[in-house]
Amino acid sequence: MKLKPINRFIIPIFIFYIFIFAGCKDNSNSVVVYTTVDQVFSEPVLKKFESQTGIKIKAVYDTEETKSTGILNRLIAEKGNPQCDMFWSGDPMRTVVLENKGMLYPYISKSAEGIDEEFKDKDHLWTGFSARARVLIYNKDLLKKEDVPQSIFDLTSEKYKGKVAIANPLFGTTTFYLAALFSIIGDEKAKAYLQDLKNNNVVIATSNGDVKKRVVKGEVFCGLTDTDDAFEAIKDGDNIGMVFLDQQGIGNLIMPNTVSLIKKEKISDNAKKLIDYLLSPETESALSYSCAQMPLHKGVKTAKNIPSPDKIKPMKIDYIETAKKLKEIQNYLKKWVEKQ
Amino acid sequence: MGRKTIKYPVYTIALALYLFFIVLPVLYSLWLTVTDGHFIENIKTVGQDSIILLLKSSVLAAVIAIISTFFGIILGFLIYKTSINYRKFFKVIILIPLFISPYILAVAWRDILLLFFDKIENSNSFFAIILVHSTIFIPLSILIIGSALVNVSKNLEESALMISGFKRMFFNILLPLIKPAILSSLVLVFIFSISEFSVPAFFSVRVFTTEIFTQFSAFYNHSLAMLQSSLLIIVCVLLLLSERKYIADSPFLSIGTRGKTTKLYDFKSFNKIAYLILIFSVFIMILLPLLILLYQSFKDGTDDFIEAFQLLIPTFGNSLFLALTGAILTLIFGFIAAYFSEIYRKKLLDSSLLLLFAIPSIVLGIALIKFYNRPVLNTIYSGVGIIIIGYVAKYGFIAAKMLENAIKQIPKSLDEAAKIQGIKFYKRINSITLPLVFPAIFAAFMINFLFCLGDLGTTIMVYPPGTEIMPIKVFTIMANAPESLTSSMVLIVFLFTISIILILFSIFRKIFTAYNVNY
Amino acid sequence: MSIIKLKNISYSYDEERVLDKLSLDIEKNKITYLLGNSGSGKTTILRLITGLEVPQEGNVYIENVLVSIANSLIVPPEKRKIGYIFQDLALWPHFTVYKNIAFGLQNKKESDIEKKVLDMLDFFGLKDSANKFPHQLSGGQQQMIAISRALVLKPKILLMDEPLANLDIKSKRKILKYLVLLKENFNLSIVYVTHDHREAFEIADDIVVLNDGKIQDSGSTEKIKNSDNEFVKDFLEIEDD
Repeated sequence: MKLKPINRFIIPIFIFYIFIFAGCKDNSNSVVVYTTVDQVFSEPVLKKFESQTGIKIKAVYDTEETKSTGILNRLIAEKGNPQCDMFWSGDPMRTVVLENKGMLYPYISKSAEGIDEEFKDKDHLWTGFSARARVLIYNKDLLKKEDVPQSIFDLTSEKYKGKVAIANPLFGTTTFYLAALFSIIGDEKAKAYLQDLKNNNVVIATSNGDVKKRVVKGEVFCGLTDTDDAFEAIKDGDNIGMVFLDQQGIGNLIMPNTVSLIKKEKISDNAKKLIDYLLSPETESALSYSCAQMPLHKGVKTAKNIPSPDKIKPMKIDYIETAKKLKEIQNYLKKWVEKQ
Repeated sequence: MGRKTIKYPVYTIALALYLFFIVLPVLYSLWLTVTDGHFIENIKTVGQDSIILLLKSSVLAAVIAIISTFFGIILGFLIYKTSINYRKFFKVIILIPLFISPYILAVAWRDILLLFFDKIENSNSFFAIILVHSTIFIPLSILIIGSALVNVSKNLEESALMISGFKRMFFNILLPLIKPAILSSLVLVFIFSISEFSVPAFFSVRVFTTEIFTQFSAFYNHSLAMLQSSLLIIVCVLLLLSERKYIADSPFLSIGTRGKTTKLYDFKSFNKIAYLILIFSVFIMILLPLLILLYQSFKDGTDDFIEAFQLLIPTFGNSLFLALTGAILTLIFGFIAAYFSEIYRKKLLDSSLLLLFAIPSIVLGIALIKFYNRPVLNTIYSGVGIIIIGYVAKYGFIAAKMLENAIKQIPKSLDEAAKIQGIKFYKRINSITLPLVFPAIFAAFMINFLFCLGDLGTTIMVYPPGTEIMPIKVFTIMANAPESLTSSMVLIVFLFTISIILILFSIFRKIFTAYNVNY
Repeated sequence: MSIIKLKNISYSYDEERVLDKLSLDIEKNKITYLLGNSGSGKTTILRLITGLEVPQEGNVYIENVLVSIANSLIVPPEKRKIGYIFQDLALWPHFTVYKNIAFGLQNKKESDIEKKVLDMLDFFGLKDSANKFPHQLSGGQQQMIAISRALVLKPKILLMDEPLANLDIKSKRKILKYLVLLKENFNLSIVYVTHDHREAFEIADDIVVLNDGKIQDSGSTEKIKNSDNEFVKDFLEIEDD
């Protein structure tokens, strides 16, 4: 009954740990990326960059979908001493939040020459690429072709009562969409519209993915979501149709991905290389195959059925303005969600 | 003639380390909250609405705590106090829900519930939260109550059985004797449940934690979120303190110095019913969600399963390393806190552990970032050190609590007898106290290991870029990945965790025998 | 000649005064009984002598060396050459009998330790039990193991806190006889705490009667038997029933 065995376990373990901790650091040739783009889609792109350039990617992934608290909080908390070199956002709104906090650093990438100016920040703090659109998906078993809504304003109609889903507007791209709507049709009209929607028992889902799930399962007729979710649903062979909204009216919202440098003492060249890579037509093409995003460069080879943004009538918005609007209406949206 | 040297160097060092590395960051970020210039404005915002919401969340958590503890008593008795066959199997298998992320269980349960309901909203969704949380926290109750039941001295039960039937003995002797454990179970489940965020968010129920989350994630208002969190922290700390007070005042059972055995019951005719209850519970709590996951994983063939495996391979080593380190360090701090608080009435470390336990994960994460993310401390922040610090901060209290209960049960005379004989402090701990609390150490280690292995809330805030960690990977991949891939990943995490548990069990059994724990 | 000297000792626990300005001399090489009801402060006296507690007032001397003063230990318990038999015996349940006795023998050759332990066991006729665990022994045997554990370190003083309370009369007699033997063979001073004066009368050299933290009477067994003190008379009578 020697009591030594416990020491025999503990001491080597600690020595082992010291080695591991000491051997942990390897910052030689790497770049730190924070991305809000779903890991299933972003990781392959980043891995490809890694294998092409030999620059090690150190990524922090996160996603609103699963309701973790978000990279943006981390970025903001780290503001005093940023760890992140480059931020790849799935939409411009979160980038603008950082822009407003003065956390971005300008960069003009050669790769972005073919991308329309409207998708770029005037001060070059961020650049947009591969875009998603806000679309309506519907369950073909439940809605006949002629009954499919063509405008968001159709959704308040009695015949869709309790059968329309949208994601919680406090988070993600839905917030963006509503902010855009507010800035286009004005606060008063937008509030009235939302009230009508509420009166029509709109279902508030936890996320865009949840909207998709509910439409696929037939819990609701139709719902608003992003093109990537929509294509995912269609690809899975489910009985799902997709509509670009308001082509006769205010237009459909287009949301590009954005990349930006984080302002810090030493701007990493690797981060610039990564931005160049992400903004290239090749990446846009790859993203069109993996998650149905629409390239913003002209003439990029895309997956089947991916529309070119030219063919869609876009909502005319200014991202900075929309971001401001977003901040204004957030409290209203919160109350709107909470109201029974 | 006071001694000049520090009286308890181990304690002092541990306390200093804890205060500096863990308590200070939290205080620092609280300080930032108070001094950010919006403090008054934020205080006004935290109004009546918050209080009502907090009440609502409390009621929900209380219901879950009561349900979990109720089933914890029944199942704990069946598993720990009857001579039913395969009880060891049940003992291990029942732990499973503890190491599955609540979010994943919520997803699985939603699919199950949709078989019975058209849709899940309003009253349904409350039911769903209660169901999912209960299935997660019942194992915790079983563990707390079971270990108390095992320690009830045979004599107490047998002397009662001499004069009355089983039923009277059970309600008048056994239950009152394990009252401290029942109370611990209620309080701990309440705190776990009220701070858990992903399940109510998933079922779209507005509770206090989702409100805090909204402030963080939609409004990026850290100060307000911190302020709201402090309400939650106050509630939790008050509960923990009153529980502690109660436990300190209640009589504690001792391990007999003249040998100890646990009384096991054998209800011949009742055995079948006992089995039915156990199997039914295992079915509901484990098999049903597992089956759903299995079905979802393999309905389209095995490709996704293989892909999930490949995705997870790089995380196994890291997660295992982190969770083991976390569990060991947590245990060390927990033991020091428990030992000194019980034997020498040095409570400060123990109280700091308690305080940290009550802090919601995201708040802890933000606090750690704000404190550690500076060039001087970069070695910690940009390495895995920060994750370990997060683990110790979050789970140290659980270890301390489990060990305190165990140390309380050792008569002080055993330590004093060695002291008089001139046995040095460390040898006394190593030879007397440690072996006697070994079962509790093992339990605390396992629980902490599982918590660390599955920790998401704090880890996701602080993990170093590029580090592959199992729960994070499952979580981040989950978005927009095909259902079969997600389910496969969860299944693999399952299998991985179970095999580690089995390995740890067998290692510890060897140590148990070496130390002759089953005297 | 006194071996233990308590001078003006006061001790409170949780604001309750257990000992009140108590002074006491214990003679060398004698068996001294501390008699009193529960709560009279008997155990506290033992714990103060061992150094497990320190007095709030007063001094403790062992062999004329100051070992404790108010609120401070001067000589720690392990340096006082005291053996202490706890009321619950405090045998380590996870050690064998052999290990229980050998545990305190540190920094010695394995063969020396073995000889000492086995000699000790032999003295009590328990050699066969060396590899058993405490709970496998009878109550009387456990007592003897506890005593062996204390004696193997060659203390000058043996303190016993009512360890025989739960024993049958036969075992009790046997152990009491051993105590007398021990006193002589090991040159021991024994302080024994109990509420049972019959036990005291059997082997005590000196008796101290305590009540409410104060000494009522003390002296040789004969003296106590004929004490004038009202409390002592009462105490001896009640116990006679």
